Amino acid sequence: MVARIEKRDVRDFDWLTALLAVAIAAFGVWQIHNALPSEGYWSKQILGIGIALVAFFVVAFNDYRRIIDAAPFFYGFGLILLLLVLTPLGVEVNGQKAWVRLPVVGQFQPSEFVKIPTVLMLAKYFGGRKAKDLSLREMLIGGAILAGPVGLIMLEPDAGQAITYFPILAAVLFLSAIKMRYVVITLVLAAVLVPTAYYVGVQSGFIKRYQQERINAILDPESVDPRGYGYHTIQSMITVGKGGLAGNQGDTDTSQSVLKFLPEPHTDFIFAVTAENTGFIGCISLLLAYALLLSRMIAGAREASDRAGMLVIMSIVCGMVFQIFINVGMALGFLPVIGVPLPLMSAGLSAILSTFIAIGFVVSVRLRRFVN
Amino acid sequence: MKIGDHVQNLGARVGTIQVLAFILLGVLGARLYYLQVVKGEYYTDRAESQRVRFIPIPAPRGAILDRHGKMLVDSRPTYNVVLSNEPLKTVNVAERVDDYSRGLNLDRQFVVERLSLIKQQNEFEAMVLKENADVRDITWVEAHSLEFPELRVELQPQRFYPLGAVLAHVLGYVGEISPKQLEDPLMQERGFRPGDIIGKGGLEQYYDEYLRGRPGYRKVLVDSRGRVQSELDVVQPQSGQDMVTTIDLDVQIKAEEQLSNSITKRGTIIAMDPNNGQMLAMASAPSFDPNIFVRGSSTPEGRKAIAAYWQDEKRPLFNRAIQGRYPPGSTWKIPESIAGLQQGAITVAQSNLVCGGGIQVGNKFTRCMGSHGSPNLSYAITKSCDGYYYRLALKMKIEGVIQMIETYGYDKRSGIDLPNEKVPQTPKSWMPWVIKNEGKWSDIRTVYSGIGQDTVWVTPISMLRAVASIGMRGQMYVPHFLKEFRPIAAVGTEGKSDFFAARVGFGFQNAEPKLIEAKEDQWDLVVKGMWGVVNGGGTGAGIRIPDYEIAGKTGTAQVAELGKDVGDKKDHAWFVSFAPAYKPEIAVIALIENVGFGGSHAAPAAKGVYEAFRETKGHITDSSAHSEAPDKTVALPKPDSTKTR
Repeated sequence: MVARIEKRDVRDFDWLTALLAVAIAAFGVWQIHNALPSEGYWSKQILGIGIALVAFFVVAFNDYRRIIDAAPFFYGFGLILLLLVLTPLGVEVNGQKAWVRLPVVGQFQPSEFVKIPTVLMLAKYFGGRKAKDLSLREMLIGGAILAGPVGLIMLEPDAGQAITYFPILAAVLFLSAIKMRYVVITLVLAAVLVPTAYYVGVQSGFIKRYQQERINAILDPESVDPRGYGYHTIQSMITVGKGGLAGNQGDTDTSQSVLKFLPEPHTDFIFAVTAENTGFIGCISLLLAYALLLSRMIAGAREASDRAGMLVIMSIVCGMVFQIFINVGMALGFLPVIGVPLPLMSAGLSAILSTFIAIGFVVSVRLRRFVN
Repeated sequence: MKIGDHVQNLGARVGTIQVLAFILLGVLGARLYYLQVVKGEYYTDRAESQRVRFIPIPAPRGAILDRHGKMLVDSRPTYNVVLSNEPLKTVNVAERVDDYSRGLNLDRQFVVERLSLIKQQNEFEAMVLKENADVRDITWVEAHSLEFPELRVELQPQRFYPLGAVLAHVLGYVGEISPKQLEDPLMQERGFRPGDIIGKGGLEQYYDEYLRGRPGYRKVLVDSRGRVQSELDVVQPQSGQDMVTTIDLDVQIKAEEQLSNSITKRGTIIAMDPNNGQMLAMASAPSFDPNIFVRGSSTPEGRKAIAAYWQDEKRPLFNRAIQGRYPPGSTWKIPESIAGLQQGAITVAQSNLVCGGGIQVGNKFTRCMGSHGSPNLSYAITKSCDGYYYRLALKMKIEGVIQMIETYGYDKRSGIDLPNEKVPQTPKSWMPWVIKNEGKWSDIRTVYSGIGQDTVWVTPISMLRAVASIGMRGQMYVPHFLKEFRPIAAVGTEGKSDFFAARVGFGFQNAEPKLIEAKEDQWDLVVKGMWGVVNGGGTGAGIRIPDYEIAGKTGTAQVAELGKDVGDKKDHAWFVSFAPAYKPEIAVIALIENVGFGGSHAAPAAKGVYEAFRETKGHITDSSAHSEAPDKTVALPKPDSTKTR
């Protein structure tokens, strides 16, 4: 499947994007080590990055257009994987069946990977359309493409992963000439309906007590029960704040994660660990690195040789921005605790692999900017 | 296809997304600035306070010794199961109750109380869940360390009373501070916290401040479940001061023996050095085992045993020596005699009063138990003539009786260094009640007050103290147990937070006697009468020791009307004394409840104590002829005149 790599490919290859991604991932390995120095997550992550880089180059040097043509196949395969999760092959962790264990391949999280075929499927459908205003039918079809994986993920249930799919569709619709008034109406409705829904949910008991407490922990972290559901939020804020300007620079004796005050320090709360160890300076540098990477990817989208390629990049960008914002916002205590990994940073083979594959598509699109 | 080719202003839409992305990242940056730069210090403090814990190191209490250095109370190391606060914060403690009570054999109610108490604790994190853990308990804790990370086993000093029930009322016991005591602002000021061990009753309570050590602590780094990761600092505790008491353990044991050999096994014996007020022995029966209070409060069996003590109608927890108030009967005649002389109601030259076999007051005739003609004072004492004292009291008038009560301290506590001493009830304290209810103080009450009945209810300690002062010719000391608190060295480095200053040694502070004025021949006359009680064929003649002159007075105090004074309502037997009669070195009082005549029951008990005292002093005792078998003296001719009224 690996295409013949031509000299031109190497010349036009977006080395900066690749370098930024690898740099952030390497920084992530250091933070995973800081989080739990005595455990082997950081070395596993190095292995994961190695595998991810192989996949990255395979995807990058292949023509994305041929892969998009095969999108329905990948999409169908993805849905099958998500179905497998719900069978006895699925592995239950903390009451969630988000994992599947297959022979040879081992254990992985399909919901991380299925984002890519979903992106491709949307790009295939919306990439071929004529330049006119988006019809309702098209929007519904877009919604249906998304509904497949999201519905299956909700059955796991893994609401955190499920919501990371929405920005993908939002990006595609927004860039497919949805009328601005729909955008405005959606935003206004959201501003009104979300608080209303929350209120009704609380009153009717549909929103569970622990879910409410997670919200309350955001609104007023000092007055919630620090041992209850607000615990994670408060501990994360303490960890971040403790980092101060320059961080504790690897002092693991008093580290919040080593002393187990900070839960899931190597995955969901890796940003808090980063904040504790590298302080404000380190965190801002990381955010700037993300900004640079995203800008570079968006630049690729602007130069894409076709609409499908542009949609692929932009939906990946939106997905990443959304995940960064949700994850870091949670670590900084102003968004509720949702189990969303921080792209390129959180420990986890599935996450790092799917992210590098996604960036592989971005590079692949850019590589073919001069074609046609 | 370049973006610019499209009519849908795609470039602007991509730009919008890019700007939105930067705004979101900017929001994160701003929030970071707030948390890390603005509030960085605040969160640094919070992080530190949640990972640093103080684990108290209990300080050993000072030991309590007898006057010869024999151990009365000590602390010994025991394994305790300790409950930590931190891991419990995230669990519903109600789920633990059954596990703990079953696994460690603890009283369920106790576990519930303990858990609710520790939930209120914040600063210091540990509390004892079970003291004296045995191998089975320790194994259970170890086996469940994953399930119950809040439990651990620690070696801690525990109070131990090697003598069991001996001297229990004097020593008292220790226990955890009660919630009620904690509400006392004075206790809060002194820094007491739930779970602290304090003295309860006896010397343990009275001298708690000195016996108590100052706890140290370990400053440790803990993880989120409260498990200790490393030690940051240790402040060593300072032990409490050792207390040397004035108790002579041999005399004490003898006194306890006398009580347990008595018929009702209820009563008290006190021995004191009249030259300084030092207590040589104080026994009260029935007694209790303080160890049950120390160890028992957490187990169902222990709680049952403690409840049984409280419910026992013989009142084993009650220190009869200082809390019991009894009509003194004829023992009352001794202070009354000297007061009669002091006040001039009688004189040494002319001390005779009529016995008359009793006295007619109004239309009521009150009998004397004998017929003594017109005895002088010492004869009246020796034979315990009631008729004489009816008339003496009338001559002194009730004002004179009250003056005597004040002179000999019956209107106050003796000042002994034990908590909860009762004040005697006397005509002085009854006067307002009687006047209010009867309109006046009638002569018959004065007559009764002359023989220590009716309105007279004294504590044995007050009686011993007064009579001892007569033996001392007017020097009345405050009875006390404290001989010396030994000094203890400073701990830690001066000026540092781990410093505990040295504590100085000291003796009893209130050592000066109250002086009572009387003429030498007046003292002589009274003492002569008391000498006669034992050595001159008086009511206590049965306990005479040939080479050791005891001066004493029997008493038989009526607790029910004549004719009903049988069984439980039998008279209380008293004997109050000192020896040698003219140069006293020991004063002894014995009170046996509801056994009958003082001369037959109380006096022999006192004799046993004298013998034990002489033995420890190295005196040669005449062991064969005057063995301590008390029933020998029962066979003596019935001293009919000892019975008052």
